[in-house]
Amino acid sequence: MAGLVETFGAGAMTNSIGEIRDADFLFVIGSNTSEAHPIIAMEMKRAVRKGATLVVADPRAIWMTSIAKKHLQLNPGTDVWLLNAMAHVIVAEDLINREFIENQTENFKQVKEAVASYTPEKAEQITGISADDIRWTARQYATTEKAGIYYTLGITEHAHGTDNVYALANLVLMTGHLGKPSTGMNPLRGQNNVQGANDAGATPMFFPGYQRVDDPEVRVKYEKSWGVPLSPVPGLNLNEMMKTVGEQMRGFFVMGEDIVLSEPNVLELEKGLNNVDFIVMQDAFMNETARFADVILPAAVFAEKEGTFTNSERRIQRVRKAVEPPGEALPDWEILVMLANKMGANWSYKDPAEVYAEMVKDVPQFAGISHEKLEKIDAGEEGIAGLQWPCPDADHPGTKFLHEDGILRGKGLFMPVHYIPPAELPDEDYGLFLSTGRTLYHYNAATQTRRESGLDAKQSEAFVELHPSDARKRGVHHGDMVEVTTRRGSVQLRAILSRQVRPGCIWMPLHFAEARANVLTNDVGDAVTGTAEYKVCAAEVRLVESMPDNEAFFPGSYYYEKGPGLHVDD
Amino acid sequence: MSKLTLNGRTVCFAEGETLLDIASRQGLEIPTLCHDPRLEPAGACRSCLVEVDGERLMTPACARVAQAGMVVMTENERIDRHRQTLMALYMTDHPHEREVSEVGSPDLLLDMAAEFDAPMDWGWMEPMRGDREDRNPYVDFNPDTCIACARCVRYCEEVEGVSAITLAGRGSHTTISTVEEKSLLDTTCELCGGCIDVCPTGAMNEKLPLMRGQKPERELVKVRSTCNFCGVGCQFDLNVDLEGRDGKGQIVKVTSPPPGTTTNDGNLCVKGRFAYDFVHHNDRLTQPLVRGEDGVLYPTTWEDALERAAEGLLGVVERHGADALGFVSSSRCTMEENFLVQKMARALFRANHVHQCAAT
Repeated sequence: MAGLVETFGAGAMTNSIGEIRDADFLFVIGSNTSEAHPIIAMEMKRAVRKGATLVVADPRAIWMTSIAKKHLQLNPGTDVWLLNAMAHVIVAEDLINREFIENQTENFKQVKEAVASYTPEKAEQITGISADDIRWTARQYATTEKAGIYYTLGITEHAHGTDNVYALANLVLMTGHLGKPSTGMNPLRGQNNVQGANDAGATPMFFPGYQRVDDPEVRVKYEKSWGVPLSPVPGLNLNEMMKTVGEQMRGFFVMGEDIVLSEPNVLELEKGLNNVDFIVMQDAFMNETARFADVILPAAVFAEKEGTFTNSERRIQRVRKAVEPPGEALPDWEILVMLANKMGANWSYKDPAEVYAEMVKDVPQFAGISHEKLEKIDAGEEGIAGLQWPCPDADHPGTKFLHEDGILRGKGLFMPVHYIPPAELPDEDYGLFLSTGRTLYHYNAATQTRRESGLDAKQSEAFVELHPSDARKRGVHHGDMVEVTTRRGSVQLRAILSRQVRPGCIWMPLHFAEARANVLTNDVGDAVTGTAEYKVCAAEVRLVESMPDNEAFFPGSYYYEKGPGLHVDD
Repeated sequence: MSKLTLNGRTVCFAEGETLLDIASRQGLEIPTLCHDPRLEPAGACRSCLVEVDGERLMTPACARVAQAGMVVMTENERIDRHRQTLMALYMTDHPHEREVSEVGSPDLLLDMAAEFDAPMDWGWMEPMRGDREDRNPYVDFNPDTCIACARCVRYCEEVEGVSAITLAGRGSHTTISTVEEKSLLDTTCELCGGCIDVCPTGAMNEKLPLMRGQKPERELVKVRSTCNFCGVGCQFDLNVDLEGRDGKGQIVKVTSPPPGTTTNDGNLCVKGRFAYDFVHHNDRLTQPLVRGEDGVLYPTTWEDALERAAEGLLGVVERHGADALGFVSSSRCTMEENFLVQKMARALFRANHVHQCAAT
C-alpha cells in the first residue's frame, strides 16, 4: 500500500473488478485468486474463456495455474529477480512506452541502470524460471494493450515486500499500462475493509485519505477540525508495536483482531503481553487475545450494524443492519463513542452517517460521498451499487480507474530496487521453505468460518503440504501426523503429499488454532510498512506418528484430489 | 448501428446483440427461465420464443442474434398461445401446489403458469427424474421441481469453471447429477451455491434452512448488505425471518442480487453464501467482562466495564506516557469505526500509535 502511494500517489487498485473480464493479458503474482478472492477469479476465468492470456507467478501450483498459459514457479522470495529481469527484457528489446515515460514519469534512468545486470539467464539460475519464459512473459506484457497486474500478500508479506511492489510498479510505468481500462496495478485486498481502514486513517503515518501526519498543513487542518493539538510524529506500526509489547508498549486497545492468533512469532509476543499493564479488547467472540485482556467489550457483527466498507477497487458500499445483536452486545461505533466520552471526550455522533460526514469533510477525494448518496445509488436502477473514490463533490459519479488524466502523484515515480534474499533461508538445521496462506473454505483466524458446520465438513483439520520427494526423505506418508519446526516454535498437524508445492517447499494454511502458523512465522518486518514475512521462513518436518486412516485423509487441499497426475504417494 | 423492426417500431442495435437484449433495453418483457446474462444462450426452456417475419417457426429471443432489417414480434396471439401451451406442458409433471414446489427458493414456473393462465388439467405424469444421495451440507436438489433447463450446469461450467454437475439421463429421466453420482464434497465443486441461485424453479435449495424447518424465501425480508469476508466487497441480501430469535430477527440464508447490478455480478463464493452460522452462534459475547483480582473474568454492566476500561487506559498513559499506549484497529470493522479509533488515539492521547490489523 505504502509502495503504491509512493510511486503513483494512491494506494489502491488502479482499476475496477468489472474491467478484468475485458483484459487481454493477466499477470497474477503472489495471489491464490480462486481461493482467496473467488469472485475476482470468476472474472479472470471469464477473461480467459474469451481468449485472454493468463500468466501465474507463484512458487506453488494453484487452481489458476490449471487455466494459465504459463505458470512461472519461482523460488520463494525471488520476485525481485523475476520482475527486474522482465524489466531488463522490456528495456533491452525496446518495448518501453517512450512517450508515457517522458510525459508522465520521473527517475526512469535509475531503473534502467538498476535492471541492466538482471539478465534473464542469471534470473533463471536464481528464480528457477527459464530465461525463455521470462522473455516471453515480458514481451507479452509489454506488447498487449490491455495488460493488467494482479497481486496480493504473496508480494507484500515479505521483509522486502515494498521492494516487490516497486519492481511491479516499474513494469507498469515503463510500459504505460496505467490510466486505461483493464490494465493497471491491482492489489487484491484480503479483508472486507482493509482498504477502508487505511482510507479512514487507521495507520500510524496518515490521517484519513493518506494525508501525512508529519505534514504541518495537514496537521493544522485536523487540529482546527478536532480542536486539540496533535502529534507530528508518525506512530509505531503494528509490527513495531508487537515487538515492543511489554517494553515501550504497556497498554492496548484492541478492536476486532486476535493479535495472539494472527501476529507472527507469537510465543515471543505472549511473553511480552504478560508484562503489559492493561488491555481492553472489543470483539464479537472470545479469542486467544482474551487470555490477556482486562476488560472485554461485546461487539455486534456486520449484520447487526450500519456503516460502510470500502472494497479493493475503492468502492464504498453500505453495510446495513438486518438483525439485533445478541444479549447486551453493541455496535463497535457506539462502544467507541461511550468509551471516548468516559475518557474525557465530548463526542455526540447520533449515527454512522454523521461519523462518515465528519470524515469526508477533511478529505478532498472522499468529499462527494455520503450515506445519503449511497442510498440513492443503491435504490436506482442504473449502474453498479456503491461509489468509487476519488469522488470530490456531490455530483461526481466516482472513478472507475485511476490516473486517467495523468498520474495522481503528478509524475509516476520509478524506484530502482535490488534483490535482497528473504530474512531467513533454509540451512542444515531447517532444510525447507515454509510459506503460509488462506484456503477457500476458511477465513483468517476462522472464528467465523469454523463455527460453520458445512465448512468444517469440507476442511476440518489443519494440514501441511509436502512434496513427495521431501516426504520420502523423512519417512512421511500421506496423512501422517508430523511436526513442523522453525527457530520460533513448532506445531503438529497432518501431512498432505502434494506436487502443488515445489521440492524443498512446504505450505500450510493459517486458520487453525490447534496448529497456529504464527507460532512458526518470522516477525521480521518490511522496512516501510512493517508487514511481517509470513510468506517465507526456514522450517523442518519430522514424522510424529503414522496414521492408520491416512488413505482417507483429505482435508480439501485442491490438487491432492483434482490435479491431473498429482494424486501421489510415491 | 443497424436497425430492425420490433413490434412495429424501428430500433437500433449493436452487432452481436440478441433479440432478448434489444427487447429488454426497450422495456419489453419476454419470459425466460433458462436465460442468464452471464451465460452463453442455450435456448433450452422455449419460454422466450418470438416471431420473425418470413420464418415458419418461432425463434428463441435469448439465442437469436439480431440482423439488420428483421421484423420481430414479441407479443401476439400466436405467441400467447405458445406460452400457454408450453406452461401447460411443463405443469404435467411439475407440482401444482406452492407448499410442495416452494419449500425454499421461489418457483418462477408457477408464477409464469399463472401469468399466462395455463390450463392445469392436461394430464399428470409422475416426475421421473433421478435423485441421488448427497451428504454435502449446503446444496439440496429436488428432482421433482427441476425442468432440466441446465442453467445450473452451465453456470457451474462457464462462470465458476469447475464443471462439478452435469445433465444425466435422457428424455423425461433427464436430471442433474455428478460424475458417478458422487457427493458434491467429492467432486471439483467449490460449494459456491451458484446452482441454487440460478435455478428458476427452486429445485436447488440451501440445505440447512430446509433441515431446520425454516420459512421459505418468500416469507423472508431481504436486507442488502456487504459481505464481511474478503476485499472484493460482494453485495448480497441477508434473508431475515423477522419473527426469529424472539423478534430479534434471524438470518435464514443469503441470496445474491441480480447480475449486472453489483460489483460481484450476482456471484458469491462458499463463504459469502453460506458462512453465517457465526452471527447467531452461542459463542457470541453477550455481556461486558472484567478481570477480577483473582485473575478470572466476570460479567458486569456496561457502565462498570467502560469505567474500568477508561481508568485502565488513562492509567497507562499517566504512568508511562501516551507513547506506551497502542491502538489496534480492525480491517473487519466499518470505515466509521476505524475513523473513530484513529481519532481516539490522536485527539485524546496526542499520539499516532494506531494501526489496523491487516497492514501491508
